[in-house]
Amino acid sequence: MSTCEVIRESLGAWLDGELSGAAADTVRSHLQTCLACGQERRQLEKLDITLKSVLEAQTIPFHAESIWHALRQRIETKRPWYVEVAAWTGPVLRSPSFAWGVPAVIVLLLGTIYLDSILPGWNSGSPRDNFAAVESIDAYGRNVALLREYETKTTVIWLYQNPDSESEASGETSNKGPAF
Amino acid sequence: MKLAIKALLFNFCLWWAAMPSLEAADKSFQSVEITIKTISASKQGNEFDPQLAALEKQLKALNYGSYRLLKQETQTARWQGNANFQIPGGRMLTVRPQEVNNDQLGLRVQLKQGDKPQLETTVRLNNRGNFILGGPRHDNGVLVLSISATAR
Repeated sequence: MSTCEVIRESLGAWLDGELSGAAADTVRSHLQTCLACGQERRQLEKLDITLKSVLEAQTIPFHAESIWHALRQRIETKRPWYVEVAAWTGPVLRSPSFAWGVPAVIVLLLGTIYLDSILPGWNSGSPRDNFAAVESIDAYGRNVALLREYETKTTVIWLYQNPDSESEASGETSNKGPAF
Repeated sequence: MKLAIKALLFNFCLWWAAMPSLEAADKSFQSVEITIKTISASKQGNEFDPQLAALEKQLKALNYGSYRLLKQETQTARWQGNANFQIPGGRMLTVRPQEVNNDQLGLRVQLKQGDKPQLETTVRLNNRGNFILGGPRHDNGVLVLSISATAR
């Protein structure tokens, strides 16, 4: 291996300041006398400068203040209600158990409907809204009362009778109104 | 996730299959069974007819002393057809089923004494439900009619 080849192999290390005193002196003295190695040194120096400029241009400056400000703003900003609801319900709605729960409820409802048609009155023990809606009443001049009895949820139409115009004997309730 | 999609498809199929049945539930009723219980209520006495046990709570809210079942009659009427019930005291109760909607029956009810109409009303009550029509005098008390209807 020629002297120039040895010097060029250690040129990079010399430029980076990695060579010890004696080795660095050898390279420096050779570069002062050898034009070809001097040319090689300049090329390496140019390459080093070019690489540094490219790396500096691509480095994103780190502005901690602005990042912290944005982060704090995001924490403090209240999310819309629908985002909150979606965050709460999302995992539940996506779970397989919920997906199978819906058909189970549908089957249960259909079963109730069919059971009601097959066995009418099967649920008569449970309180049921029995209120009837009265759309019209005509008592032909007589007084009439429409009452709703809330304990049994029953609609009562009470006809007050005029004792003078009725054929039956007047009883205790004649024209006194309903007894309740 | 695949399981959820399968379940969703199953739901859709189930609902699609059930729709005709649900629609038919309203449309398939051909007639209405009407039951009239004619009850005599009086301030005198403290007797409660055991045959009226099912109506006990409804009747006792009327605050009479004694209740006695005079007559119970059931008739079947077609839609827009009349069912006529003889009521004690020369009265006639006519019930005409008009329509069924959302498991509620529309009924036209007319009470006559002889030829004289006493009351005419249109009510909408739950299928298999009842309402009370009371007030006409009878003996020493009043008549209470429990009018119930069941679509068939």
